[in-house]
Amino acid sequence: MVDGYLRQSPLAHLHLDARAANDINVTDAGLMLGERRHVGMINLRGEPADPAFAAAVKKAVGVALPDGINRSSGKPLSIHILALGPDEWLIVCPPGTEDSIFGKMTKAMKPLHAAVTMSSEARTVIQLAGTDARNGLAKGCPLDLHPRAFGPGQCAQSILGRADILIHQTGSNAGSSDASYDLFVLRSFAEYVWTWLEDAGREYGVKVFSPAEK
Amino acid sequence: MQKYSIFSLIKNALAYHEGWEKVWRSPEPKSEYDVVIIGGGGHGLATAFYLAKEHGITNVAVIEKGWLGGGNTGRNTTIIRSNYLWDESAAMYEKSLQLYEGLSQELNFNIMLSQRGVLNLAHNLSDLREIERRVSANRLNGIDSEILNTQEIKEFVPIINDSPNSRYPVLGGSLQRRAGTARHDAVAWGFARGADTRGVDIIQQCEVTGIRQSRGKVTGVETTKGLIKAKKVGVVVAGHSSMLADMAGFRLPVNSYPLQALVSEPVKPVLDTVVMSNTVHVYVSQSDKGEMVLGAGIDGAHGYTQRGSLHVIEGQLGALCELFPIFSRLRMMRQWGGIVDTCPDASPIVGKTPIGGLFINCGWGTGGFKGTPGSGWAFAHTLATGEPHELNAPFNLDRFTTGALIDEHGAAAVAH
Amino acid sequence: MLLIPCPFCGEREESEFHQGGEAHIVRPKDPDELSDAEWADYLFLRKNTKGLFLERWVHLHGCRRWFNMARNTATNEIIAVYKMGAQPPKAAINKPPKTAVDKPPKAVGKGAKK
Ligand SMILES: Cc1cc2nc3c(=O)[nH]c(=O)nc-3n(C[C@H](O)[C@H](O)[C@H](O)COP(=O)(O)OP(=O)(O)OC[C@H]3O[C@@H](n4cnc5c(N)ncnc54)[C@H](O)[C@@H]3O)c2cc1C
Ligand SMILES: [Zn+2]
Repeated sequence: MVDGYLRQSPLAHLHLDARAANDINVTDAGLMLGERRHVGMINLRGEPADPAFAAAVKKAVGVALPDGINRSSGKPLSIHILALGPDEWLIVCPPGTEDSIFGKMTKAMKPLHAAVTMSSEARTVIQLAGTDARNGLAKGCPLDLHPRAFGPGQCAQSILGRADILIHQTGSNAGSSDASYDLFVLRSFAEYVWTWLEDAGREYGVKVFSPAEK
Repeated sequence: MQKYSIFSLIKNALAYHEGWEKVWRSPEPKSEYDVVIIGGGGHGLATAFYLAKEHGITNVAVIEKGWLGGGNTGRNTTIIRSNYLWDESAAMYEKSLQLYEGLSQELNFNIMLSQRGVLNLAHNLSDLREIERRVSANRLNGIDSEILNTQEIKEFVPIINDSPNSRYPVLGGSLQRRAGTARHDAVAWGFARGADTRGVDIIQQCEVTGIRQSRGKVTGVETTKGLIKAKKVGVVVAGHSSMLADMAGFRLPVNSYPLQALVSEPVKPVLDTVVMSNTVHVYVSQSDKGEMVLGAGIDGAHGYTQRGSLHVIEGQLGALCELFPIFSRLRMMRQWGGIVDTCPDASPIVGKTPIGGLFINCGWGTGGFKGTPGSGWAFAHTLATGEPHELNAPFNLDRFTTGALIDEHGAAAVAH
Repeated sequence: MLLIPCPFCGEREESEFHQGGEAHIVRPKDPDELSDAEWADYLFLRKNTKGLFLERWVHLHGCRRWFNMARNTATNEIIAVYKMGAQPPKAAINKPPKTAVDKPPKAVGKGAKK
């Protein structure tokens, strides 16, 4: 809905691609940071107890609703759904696909007691990976991120430092401390969170990378 | 009363300090008094002192469930000032400050009043406007108050971070030079000694558990040491006010919250004034021992635990390091909490209750140490005559029905 | 610091929440019909109990949902959490108050849904 040529990431002024190019040969960083720009986001409210609602969502986006609050369904780099509350979800989709999914969802929800709101560009996504991604986050986030409490496929809204975040664990490496996260951050907090993370990662070494999009 | 002076000091030094009298007696309660004051904090003890001194009423008991000054009086950060916004508050707090100025002499007890000034910082346009409004109002009320710009603040407090690039830059501030600090325990002890000498019974380790009434009038209090009769009872229990109101059968607009303070390890003198900031939520002064005395805001939820939540002081110390980078390596030595009684308009309640002969003095919340002598002085008048003095008349309980609130959130909500 | 069992998210730290004061205060249907004293009671007068206190909380930085909580304000023991609009669970309310101050809060009521 924003004209493509006007779209700008809230972190554009940090020139992260140039930094990524510069860091390309860094191999000993514990915390890897990258920005996934212009990821599509659609907010959904509805009645989970209504079977017609769940069915309509699945039909429209091709992904079923997650089976509980603070859980995700679908695959991280394609369409996936994060359950934010008892009757609220965030549909996350690859950059550029949001308009068509929004159209399909609005149509599918029309006969139901539901609300579909486009919220792409309200937040950007910071991707965290590496052996110390969890340690870095844990410095400023009150969530219990230990694998016994939080693992791949789980999401949660919380705080990091002074900012509200939505965190989604996208992966982990069995037998290692590697974990990767998508951090959804409101535009106006993006620079704060990014610089906060770089500061938190100083002791582990930080490497900036350009995340791959499908 | 044994008078304290340089001569008594020398005399007792020669006697190996074994000849000092006890500062107050520990009597058993009589079965009846003219006036019973519930609560042996600063406000209750000041009330007893002025009842005896100003009104000649000495058949009085102060009943304290713990030890003297063990409530908020002994837990506060001792900031004293009178630069409140509204006429009613300015009059009350200024009276109190004036009484403080003569208190060491009056009590013959060194309360260690230090008029080192209190600086309130402004970090944004709205702060600046609020300060300008308040300073103007103060001056109209004859209260010393002035505005400083960033440069003047830097000269006054050289260790402050005046960088324009900080998240909440220091844009200006208001300064009351007559404001400062006093030793909180000494205030309680001085009033206790003065009251005791004049015949007031101070009864510690005695909890009030019920309020006896007959035909809408108070007749006495039930305590853990038995029934004590009195036709006039003053309730001065700060954080526990709602409990006492429950016992008496009326309701209060008071909510009780934990409020915390911390002190650091002692360091050499670096800060010779009191600096407070409502916006970043911290205030700090340096005690005579060299410790930094720090406070912040109340907890987010009601509580009677006298501890408080850790994330509150985490935010407060973040603010401290931002304002004073020099303190970033300072170690904190002790932390504690009190239970503060907050009112919807951030002003106290000092006056009558719906029950005849029962009077209440509460709602001083986060900032009643500075009000201690003024509050006791006005409450003593109220207890003696049965009617409020013009100083505390506006601070009646009825104002929540009439709507004549005294909104001091700007001056009092965070600040102490 | 409280560990609060959000009825939707499970146990989370207090810093994610905001307390909304005494629970079960009903806005009068006809404010015009009330006396000043009744209106003042609704606006300002509060329970403020030491001991069992029924209060509203919102998981402000989490799922953003409001819920009710029964807590002992003297010990910080969380006795129950229950949904907005519901009455406090009887069993929890009638439980004799604990005196231990350092007892960690326990998730009860409907428990934390995953
Ligand atoms: C951390 C902190 C920092 C503060 N900083 C400042 C500051 O810098 N400047 C300032 O002006 N103010 C400050 N305040 C506020 C100030 O401390 C209080 O407003 C003031 O001390 C209240 O005095 P009080 O005598 O009314 O209450 P308290 O000193 O609390 O006395 C009340 C007494 O009543 C007793 N009591 C309660 N129930 C019963 C019962 N049933 N029977 C018998 N006795 C009972 C209690 O044990 C207590 O001793 C601060 C408060 C706190 C907690
Ligand atoms: Zn929640």
